Amino acid sequence: MVEDLATPEAPQTGDTDAARPTLRVQGLTKRFPGVLALDDVSLEVRGGEVLALLGENGAGKSTLIKLLAGVYRPDGGTIETGGVERHFASPADGLAAGIKVVFQEIALIEEFTVAENIFLEDHLAGRFGRVAWDEIRRRAAEIFDRAGFDIDPEVKVKDLSISQQQLVEISRALAHEAKIVIMDEPTSSLTPAEVRHLFGVIERLKAMGIAIIYVSHKLEEIFEIADTCVVLRDGKWVSTRPTAEHDHASLIKDMVGREITDLFPRSDRPLGDTVVEVRGLSTATGLSDIDFDVRAGEVVGFFGLMGAGRTELAKAIVGYDPILSGEIRIAGTQLTPHDTRRGKALGIGLLSEDRKGEGLMLEASVTRNMTLAALDKFTARGFVDAAAERAQAQSFVDRFRIKLARLDQPIGTLSGGNQQKALLSRWLMFGLRTIVLDEPTRGIDVGAKAEIFALIDELAADGFAVILMTSEMPELLGLSDRIFVLSGGRITGSFDTETATQEAILDAAIK
Amino acid sequence: MAVSDTPPRPTLAQRIMASEHGFLALVLAVLIVVLTLSADRFLTPANAVAILHQSSLVLIVAVGMTFLLITAEVDISVGASLAFGSCVVMAVMNETNSILLGTLAGVGFGAAVGGINAVVTTVLRVNSLIGTIAMMMMLQGGVYLFTREAVQNHHQLPLFPKIATGYVLGIPVPAIIAAAVAAVGMVVLARMRAGRLALAVGANPSAARLSGYSPERIKAVAFVVTGALTGLAAVILTSLLNAGQPTAGTGFELTVIAAVLLGGTSLMGGRGTILGTILAVLILKVIDNGIIQMRWNQDLQIIIPGIVLILALYMDQRRRGGAGG
Amino acid sequence: MKTALKTVSALAIATGLLAGGAAAQEMPERIGYIVNYATHEWYQNVIKGMEDRAAELGIEIEVIDANLDIARQVAAAEDFMARDMDVIIMTPVNEEGVVPILRRAKADDMPVVLEGNPVQGMDVLVAICDYDTGYLAGVAAGELLKEEGRDTPRVMNVGLPLLSATILRSQGFMDGIQTIYPEAEMVHDLDGGGNPDRSQEVSSAALAADSDIDVIYGINDSSALGGLQAWRAAGLPEDDLLVVGTGAEGLAFLHEMFADGPFKLEAAMFPEMIGYTSIDTAVALFQGEDLPEHVVSPTTAVNVDNVTDFYSYDGESRQIQWDAVNALEAPAQCMKYASDL
Repeated sequence: MVEDLATPEAPQTGDTDAARPTLRVQGLTKRFPGVLALDDVSLEVRGGEVLALLGENGAGKSTLIKLLAGVYRPDGGTIETGGVERHFASPADGLAAGIKVVFQEIALIEEFTVAENIFLEDHLAGRFGRVAWDEIRRRAAEIFDRAGFDIDPEVKVKDLSISQQQLVEISRALAHEAKIVIMDEPTSSLTPAEVRHLFGVIERLKAMGIAIIYVSHKLEEIFEIADTCVVLRDGKWVSTRPTAEHDHASLIKDMVGREITDLFPRSDRPLGDTVVEVRGLSTATGLSDIDFDVRAGEVVGFFGLMGAGRTELAKAIVGYDPILSGEIRIAGTQLTPHDTRRGKALGIGLLSEDRKGEGLMLEASVTRNMTLAALDKFTARGFVDAAAERAQAQSFVDRFRIKLARLDQPIGTLSGGNQQKALLSRWLMFGLRTIVLDEPTRGIDVGAKAEIFALIDELAADGFAVILMTSEMPELLGLSDRIFVLSGGRITGSFDTETATQEAILDAAIK
Repeated sequence: MAVSDTPPRPTLAQRIMASEHGFLALVLAVLIVVLTLSADRFLTPANAVAILHQSSLVLIVAVGMTFLLITAEVDISVGASLAFGSCVVMAVMNETNSILLGTLAGVGFGAAVGGINAVVTTVLRVNSLIGTIAMMMMLQGGVYLFTREAVQNHHQLPLFPKIATGYVLGIPVPAIIAAAVAAVGMVVLARMRAGRLALAVGANPSAARLSGYSPERIKAVAFVVTGALTGLAAVILTSLLNAGQPTAGTGFELTVIAAVLLGGTSLMGGRGTILGTILAVLILKVIDNGIIQMRWNQDLQIIIPGIVLILALYMDQRRRGGAGG
Repeated sequence: MKTALKTVSALAIATGLLAGGAAAQEMPERIGYIVNYATHEWYQNVIKGMEDRAAELGIEIEVIDANLDIARQVAAAEDFMARDMDVIIMTPVNEEGVVPILRRAKADDMPVVLEGNPVQGMDVLVAICDYDTGYLAGVAAGELLKEEGRDTPRVMNVGLPLLSATILRSQGFMDGIQTIYPEAEMVHDLDGGGNPDRSQEVSSAALAADSDIDVIYGINDSSALGGLQAWRAAGLPEDDLLVVGTGAEGLAFLHEMFADGPFKLEAAMFPEMIGYTSIDTAVALFQGEDLPEHVVSPTTAVNVDNVTDFYSYDGESRQIQWDAVNALEAPAQCMKYASDL
């Protein structure tokens, strides 16, 4: 099958080929029980073109990708590559037709070497026999050379960073002579430097005549890398325009379906007493000698790159993790480290960055997820008053405009933004006064993001002390009153929002 | 999400398959109908009572095990604890001539075993599957240090055999005890804070900890409750056999865990109901009883539940897989 | 083979030995016994009988428990041989597993007495007759029912079809009871696993199917008691029930017998007597006497009236009464063997 692939015309030959789209999708439709996930969507992408696929969660982007990859089969419409209509029965067929998808969750075998992973299919098919390791290594090195990747083919995949693993995935595409590479949120866990490097790789792929479909939420990246923007909403096609014809507002409007004027509202926030005092905090998780204060009515932002210690700091100050030395005082009372019950009693709580891993009970109802922290309020003599619980949950659903069908539906069926609002309700229902938000908008749509930003502003105006951990520069600058920068577990810079600049903050972040 | 025109109204069969307990109830009903048609003595009051009787011991421990599996832990030592506990019960009664003290000793012994399991799992952080297998080995060996033979009834208290063989209003006493345990379990799991926390810890221990609860504490309670209920079952078993039997309880833990899993409780924690466990215990015991009624080879009593368990979990997965997107 | 058996009873050996004058012949000094499973009450009583008899004769006896592990049994035998025991007595963990030991013992001129089950190439076996034991109990049960003027009895057999010995007991019981009631019927033939919990469970289900039962026969006491407990748990009346146990291995049957309930008959196999006979046989073998291949240890059916002749009972312990047991006659050979099945 792989041989069949190698035969189609080379990409950079005559004009006729350039005129013909590498991939053409027409009227593609996919239906799931009760949901029309993709409704009559068409698009084209040519060799050397970067097409950005945009839309909120549930817009149909991932369904479209999975159809192109051969994971799903369409209920209607056609997929053509190289002018030939294709019918994929499995992901192997997609790859054979020249389509390679680099998913967010990278599907490499960690215990195998880079070279073995690149030639996994051949390797598994025994194509190279038992002693062809040299051949595999040689071919892997050749591909890296061509694409300009700096990776040792003999290293095990588990020893690579996420960005290097992405490059291995892309190399698999090159090894199979793929004509179309689809990248699903490729920068979501990359450092800024790694993002720059990835963009360089994309330029090189373009030059090799490969068509790229790039899926991302991050509008800055789209403007930098994409030639064309295709926007989907609610499973339907909305617009296809050259990136040059778009600006932020027009893209957001296409995605959300309405105009968002003020992403970062800022109410009048009267400052209260000092609520959080952290002195000389060091932990086994890598923090050393952290000092800061937070006052009621204040949003204090912590910026840091991957591994800077944001999440570690968040977990230490709510009493989730043990500490080595230092002191944490909440409203004047010392917090017992490694004891969340004490932290909760003092009124501090964490909204985790890892919604699925540390926040949601996916199979449990929305109500039960919302009332988890505040359960004692609904409990008398050990019995939970289900009616009071529902009433309270309903009031928060109304207040935060959480979109759901029923209060007892599993929370796993809500969108990321609505899940995040439900988790925020969990703490507000309990009645915290200090909240630590770790990447509160990760994986959330633009529309929902604006609502979360407004909510954070509202909390501060109500006299909450808000500690915001983020790696998103606009969010940091838009929300914070004061900014601390973390790097290598230390505070390497502190700014007032008025005087902070992106350059100064990034400077401190790589110290 | 784009919701298309309202899906067709599900048929009754689809609704039964989709409901939490409909499938189990259906299996039980089909079993009863088939056995009634093929064994003329199956549907008699005497046989119904016999099935209830045999379900009681398993159900009492299965209620505790449901809570434990919901918190994503397991206890393999219940069978060995049952045997050791029965020897303790009889020995203490022989010594004290008191049914109350013997019962307390049995329940206390079980709770203590559960407490050790809890410490091993939550403090020493040994995986509970491994930790409780180790406990099972220690109990199986330990009971022979305690007694080399069955502990006979030397006290001859007239009330004692009645615990297992007595009737109140035509219902066997063990079935009444089991029903009471199950009813309490049902209320705790569905209506009380403790049940909620067990579910939360199983569904997402980090979320529970971040919400200000101690997963270790909640798991420890589940271990102790399971142990104490095993001790209670040991009292009934001792009365039933009129002896403390060091070799009893072989494979008991597998029956209990199979029933809890068959009842829809997740091995990964966070999901489970007492009603499901009750239905599953009845299904297993009806199969058991049916095999004897049909005069089939008794080895099938072990083989068929194995097959049923695999089929049930497969159906359950398909049902859940179909409901998702 | 059986025709070759000589008609010498265990009792005759014992009395002959003593009458022959102990002073005239050399006595063994040390005997080693490798028991298959010492945890069981049965074997504890076998050991007790051995120790009693060995003490009487001034012989030192050493017991090793193989704990159902054939490797451990082989190791123990090698150990005994290395330490030059005078005679080895052995209850095989499994029959095939001990064949090599017997071969080596023969090469070493080490006399070996087997207890329980026969093995190819053995010198001598001490065992009860399983079929006869069941048969005697069956006859006694039939007579007891006849005395009470009862109709043809319906029997529930709480058996263990895994072992030939226990199949023989059940067959013997039915054949015995049919000598009095030719129409006696086995209504339930159950696999109680030989333990009380399993017996209780299967009996419960069987009784639910058909509780019109007059006799419960158990292939050992645990099985009989499991069946009886199932009867009680089903709330059935005990007045017209007869329970017959087998083995008389511990206190449980005595408790029940003296409670004046339905447990009225016991096929007593006198494990102590087996131990006693094993020692006597070992001595005879050591002294080079001519022995039959199978030395039978006597069994009999006991009821509440005569049980105290054989065992004294004070509610907490029992003591074998050697006079009565020694007075029992053992047949020269069994009515039926496993090879007849």
